[in-house]
Amino acid sequence: MWGLRWWHKFYGLMKLRQSEFNAFEYVILDLELTGLDAQNDEIVSVAWLVIERGKVHLDSSEYYINKEVQALSQSPIYHGIDEQMVEQGERLSQILTRLGAVLEGKILVCHNAQLDWAFLKQASKCRGLTLSPLAVLDTMAIEKRRLSARTEPLNSDSLTLQACRIRYHLPEYGAHNALTDALATAELLLAQASAISVGKRLKLGQLLQ
Amino acid sequence: MTPEIAEVKRFVSKQMPFSQLPEAASHFFATHLEVIYLTEQNQHQWLRSGNLYLYLVRSGSYDLLNAHGEVVTRLAQGDYFGYPSLLTGEAIKNQLQVNLAGLVYLLNEEHFEFLRREYKVFEQHFVKAHANRLLSSHYKQSRDSWSEKKISEVMTKGAVVLAPHASIYEAAQTMSQHCVSSIIISEHRKLLGVVTDRDLRNRVLAASVSPQQSIASIMTDSPKYIFEHNRVFSALHLMLKHNIHHLPVLNEHYEPLGMLTSTDLLRQQKSDPVQLISKIYKAQSLSAIKLCASEIPDLLKRFANNIEDISLIGKLLSGLSDALTSRLIALYQLEHGEAPCSFSWICFGSQAREEQTLHSDQDNGLLLPNDVNDEQRSYFSGLGRFVCEQLAHCGIRTCPGNIMASNEHCRGSLAQWLERFKLWVAQPTPKAMLNCKIYFDIRFIDGSNALYNEFTTQLSEMAKNELFFAAMATDITTNSVPLGLFHQFKLEKDKQQHKYLDLKRRGVVIINDLVRLYALKAKVYKANTLERLDALLSTTLLSKEDIYDLKDCWRYLTQLRLKTQLEYEQLPENCINPEHLTSLERHQLKEAFYLIKQAQQACAFKFARGSL
Repeated sequence: MWGLRWWHKFYGLMKLRQSEFNAFEYVILDLELTGLDAQNDEIVSVAWLVIERGKVHLDSSEYYINKEVQALSQSPIYHGIDEQMVEQGERLSQILTRLGAVLEGKILVCHNAQLDWAFLKQASKCRGLTLSPLAVLDTMAIEKRRLSARTEPLNSDSLTLQACRIRYHLPEYGAHNALTDALATAELLLAQASAISVGKRLKLGQLLQ
Repeated sequence: MTPEIAEVKRFVSKQMPFSQLPEAASHFFATHLEVIYLTEQNQHQWLRSGNLYLYLVRSGSYDLLNAHGEVVTRLAQGDYFGYPSLLTGEAIKNQLQVNLAGLVYLLNEEHFEFLRREYKVFEQHFVKAHANRLLSSHYKQSRDSWSEKKISEVMTKGAVVLAPHASIYEAAQTMSQHCVSSIIISEHRKLLGVVTDRDLRNRVLAASVSPQQSIASIMTDSPKYIFEHNRVFSALHLMLKHNIHHLPVLNEHYEPLGMLTSTDLLRQQKSDPVQLISKIYKAQSLSAIKLCASEIPDLLKRFANNIEDISLIGKLLSGLSDALTSRLIALYQLEHGEAPCSFSWICFGSQAREEQTLHSDQDNGLLLPNDVNDEQRSYFSGLGRFVCEQLAHCGIRTCPGNIMASNEHCRGSLAQWLERFKLWVAQPTPKAMLNCKIYFDIRFIDGSNALYNEFTTQLSEMAKNELFFAAMATDITTNSVPLGLFHQFKLEKDKQQHKYLDLKRRGVVIINDLVRLYALKAKVYKANTLERLDALLSTTLLSKEDIYDLKDCWRYLTQLRLKTQLEYEQLPENCINPEHLTSLERHQLKEAFYLIKQAQQACAFKFARGSL
């Protein structure tokens, strides 16, 4: 049973790796969290937008605040989000259901995807939901591979979203919220894809590990 | 509702035209745009996709190239492209050269149309940007065009041909009959050789060869030749390379058609106006001056397509008139002796503003010192009559209002001139206003500069009267732009029921009047409208935006006006039938008239306190 599921997954991934980058739609997502522990910390807000045929569609952007967030009871203003905004937010189960629908048949992209994906999986498991993107891409991992191939000295700061963007001459964004960072990640992905492809057709496998 | 991304919205709202639009416009753009990462490799994916977009550069640097690969403009953060296609519906012909890849915002056609419909300023911005782009690209294209011409357009047609067995004597006779400096020797319609004046001197006379010998014995055989469909540039290259002055021109069957001489090429180059002006200054006789003047219309036609800045046409014609005037004054002094006292030859109106056309008439006068006596006056009376008469012979029509130095009233002393101006300023009757419009555009041409400067200094002290400015402002508003309700053109009709718009009277003149008023107020002593506007930039009378708008309008109308003069429609001078314009041109024209109307209202408010 385990073996069959693993094979299925593996075979699907093989096919995916051979496909062209532009043949897919991507959901670029960013979470704001109260901490780094998926078991104990909470999701404050969720934002995403969609890349289709190499274009980031801003009219696809969605941004939700989790109205059930507990941590805000300790500090009244968190990430520029105040109590009133929380009250007007959505229940996390609604947000995840919506995300689940959007992710159908698309590839999820995050900067440091391990973290975001862990939170998303944990939160949906608790609520009996499943998120099933075709694959998960990590712009941070992509950058890490590119940098180590160039044997440049790596430190903890050189892989932040901002540090990565500077390397591609992308503009600096001041205000940080989940939506701005989702756009910043989307633009970074396009720049990385163009740098890796060098004018040739880009296969998804070149971006996956 | 789609949430807006603060960083995108902030950037968009700082760009023209959004900075002038309600926040809702920036919000709409920021929530409907698409972001791409534009690189050298993927540019065709966007530009040649068949979908039209408005492109706004967010980062990176790109050169926009036209179909010939020439750089139209450099694009960086905040620059737009793609709008000409959105406005005209034509496919994008330009291409990009990516200097630094970066982010570009795209707005699709449907959303562009929405903003265009909703916000007038948005539409104005792109229509104007398009007009400016057209102006600069049109003149770039046709620059240097004379060397691109085909040989068949510039050669002397009709080959003068002789058979090889003809005698040298016959050849010389044929050449002098046809007034040519060279002859083609051919047999069975094929080119054999060439004989030139110089050959007759060097190879016949100097070498004591008998003129009875056959021409074939002294001809240059197998000469260099050129085909009729080649470019002038190739001919020039051949002649310079081989140091020859005559090139037989052949058709594709190698049959001689005629001779291209270095003089033919020089004639092409003479469209250089500087050469003509210097020729006028060197002219030693009346007939030489008139010969130069006769070249002016031709020069204008050729030159009109070769320049970037349309206002140069007016400057060119005024420069030529100035040169003719100065030269005529010098010739008069050669014949009648030096002037008995200092004087200034001045001009008014369109010549002063340097916007003369081929149809402009003379507006000039003589400024004399206050102590001028009767005997001296009679010298200047002769000078005035002579110069005005000869200018008329040169094609510059006499003034129907008799504003000419040949008229006694236009040959006043300093005090007399000032007295006339004082009268107009003090009593702003319609007649006086008309005079102000002509005489306050004034420029020095020849004679004593010091005398002229004294005059303008005293004149500037005079124009202080608030009532005078109010009267001028009111007078300007009596002339209206030809726009009716709902932005429709109000057309005039001539006797044959042709409908037309008067670009000069209902457009250019209003701008000139407005700018003159502001210039007088700011004591700007220039006569040219664009120069006055530039000088007004350092004052607070008009905002920078208004100044640039007026300059754009003025250039646009002048360009249209010149175009119609050259194309010569069956309409009154300076008039066009708007139906002959493209929809975009009609649109631009309406915008221009609309801006003039706004400037008119602002002026009335400022000077006449709205008392219309």
